[in-house]
Amino acid sequence: MRLLLVEDNVPLADELIASLGRQGYAVDWLADGRDADYQGTSEPYDLIVLDLGLPGKPGLDVLRDWRGRGLATPVLVLTARGSWAERIEGLKAGADDYLTKPFHPEELALRIQALLRRASGVPNQPLLEVGALALDEQRGVCRQDGNEVSLTAGEFRLLRYFMLHPGRMLSKSQLAEHLYDGETERDSNVIEVLVNRLRGKLGRDVIETRRGQGYRFGGSV
Amino acid sequence: MKSIQGRLGLGLIAVLVLVSLVLLQASLWLFESALRRTLADNLREETEGLLVAIVRGPDGVQLDPDRLSPRYQRPFSGHYFRIDLPGRTWRSRSLWDASPQWPSSPGLADELIEGPQDQRLLAYRAEYQRGGQRVLIQVAQDYSPILQSFDRVRLTGLVLVGVSILLLVLLQRYVVRLALRPLEQARQQIAQLQEGHRRQLDTDAPTELQPLVDEINHLLGETEETLKRSRHALGNLGHALKTPLAVLNSLTLRDELTEHPSLRTALREQLTQMEQRVARELGRARLAGEALPGTFFDCETELPALFDTLAMIHARGVSLDWQAPAACRLPWDREDMLELLGNLLDNACKWAKTRVRLTIDRTDEGYRLCIDDDGPGIAPSRRDEVLARGTRLDERRDGHGLGLGIVRDIIAAWQGDWALEDSPLGGLRVDIHLPQRVARTPERTR
Repeated sequence: MRLLLVEDNVPLADELIASLGRQGYAVDWLADGRDADYQGTSEPYDLIVLDLGLPGKPGLDVLRDWRGRGLATPVLVLTARGSWAERIEGLKAGADDYLTKPFHPEELALRIQALLRRASGVPNQPLLEVGALALDEQRGVCRQDGNEVSLTAGEFRLLRYFMLHPGRMLSKSQLAEHLYDGETERDSNVIEVLVNRLRGKLGRDVIETRRGQGYRFGGSV
Repeated sequence: MKSIQGRLGLGLIAVLVLVSLVLLQASLWLFESALRRTLADNLREETEGLLVAIVRGPDGVQLDPDRLSPRYQRPFSGHYFRIDLPGRTWRSRSLWDASPQWPSSPGLADELIEGPQDQRLLAYRAEYQRGGQRVLIQVAQDYSPILQSFDRVRLTGLVLVGVSILLLVLLQRYVVRLALRPLEQARQQIAQLQEGHRRQLDTDAPTELQPLVDEINHLLGETEETLKRSRHALGNLGHALKTPLAVLNSLTLRDELTEHPSLRTALREQLTQMEQRVARELGRARLAGEALPGTFFDCETELPALFDTLAMIHARGVSLDWQAPAACRLPWDREDMLELLGNLLDNACKWAKTRVRLTIDRTDEGYRLCIDDDGPGIAPSRRDEVLARGTRLDERRDGHGLGLGIVRDIIAAWQGDWALEDSPLGGLRVDIHLPQRVARTPERTR
């Protein structure tokens, strides 16, 4: 899952990037409203965390312009302005959720998780469940038929993306775009290696390969 | 109630009554004294006539009946005389058996004297010397018809005065109302201002009122601007305080602190206290309260947006609905009202199983807002505690304490009151009564 974090406070952004990174999200960070306005629609983000008090261009204007250009990516607004009038203003501008500062990092993690599931049309349960697989996003472990399977960070990221898009045909480049932030070198071989390792841990049928098109998860589970 | 109209009316009536009565009485008095002078002349002529009627006859001095007016013959005719000669007295026949108290000094008597048959007599006494004899002639005329006609005139005058005062007062009211119409308009506009139906007074007031209207408009604008500025400044302050708090919150999750769980707990506890304090005080400072008269909350535009927001936040199948009178405008600040309803509905949504309902009703003294949910409710014995502390007892879902604290501040600022009750939906009902600010002019002059 690839996230865009737009936050002008550097210490907070540092903390958020670190904690979101630990949770297996690829995070791009921008501090200026004008940059965010452009990059929000030019890169395929799965979710955007937007602060409203931004230099360059106010967050609400950025959000309105994104929605005006047809951006459907879920946007979580992060702001110190927590009055209901401002909250309504934010949601009218097109926000999907609204978190007021100061917040607990766990709260942010839960909101992001819920928004991503809502955007993928997956029910919001404690565990992300598809077929016989259940993924614990907090602990980064997977349960299959009652057995816990431990995953590496890379495997966890890929499996989560697959599980949030069950039955969809995903090309290698698509996967790479959503699993790595803008600054990481994208090597499609890495995806292949990770897919093979997941198959080794969870069974061959979990991920189906279509030559020339990509991978499909959940076809046979 | 001190009303300009009333004061002017009272003053006018007092002056009119006083002036008319003095005029009426003075003119009657002047007229009567003129009349008495004329009557005195007439009576003197009568005495002279009577003097001439005293003739020397065969039996000595006698009164010549041919020279006497017949009215002296008819009993109680109202015209009487008495002639005293040394050793002789003539009384007019008209006196019959009456003997009035004739005046003792010459000229017209100051007082009226009692006559026969309740007549009041104006008497005149004249003394003559005739043939070496002292002749005392006293005549009297019945004055009661004149008195009666004076009474009639006085009565008519009083009626006329009354009628004219009535007419004048009506006319004055009309004129004053015409002149005070701009004031009345200003009063109505201020009432509308308080009900939230307008934001400014009309500026086309007459010159006398113009400075007042301008000043009120200026103050309104200034208050609104100040509120906006202070809200903005508070927003900035909040931003400046809350972002570092968010950073600190994240820092407590650092791996370095995992080895010191007690330190982490203490830090988080302090941070939570700071957060709550900051949020509470900033929230309280944001309240407009009753500062702005021209504000209102338009249910039909604001509530759908609020409910959309709530539905988005609580996307777990709770059905939300609201009921309000058609075209309902609550005369309170929009942001305050959103904060009040937002917090209470948010709270209700967190606890409700399936339904949350907001009902707004007009009452005699203002408005009643009811927020119902079908959640677990609060035991009656613990409700007072919740109201007093502004916290929900079981705080396992975040944000309750804070939200209810703000709600309590808002209701207090509006001088309303609230109660927690059993809801017909099965859960908790928050019942809020808000008194409406009234323009202090219940008197309707038309």
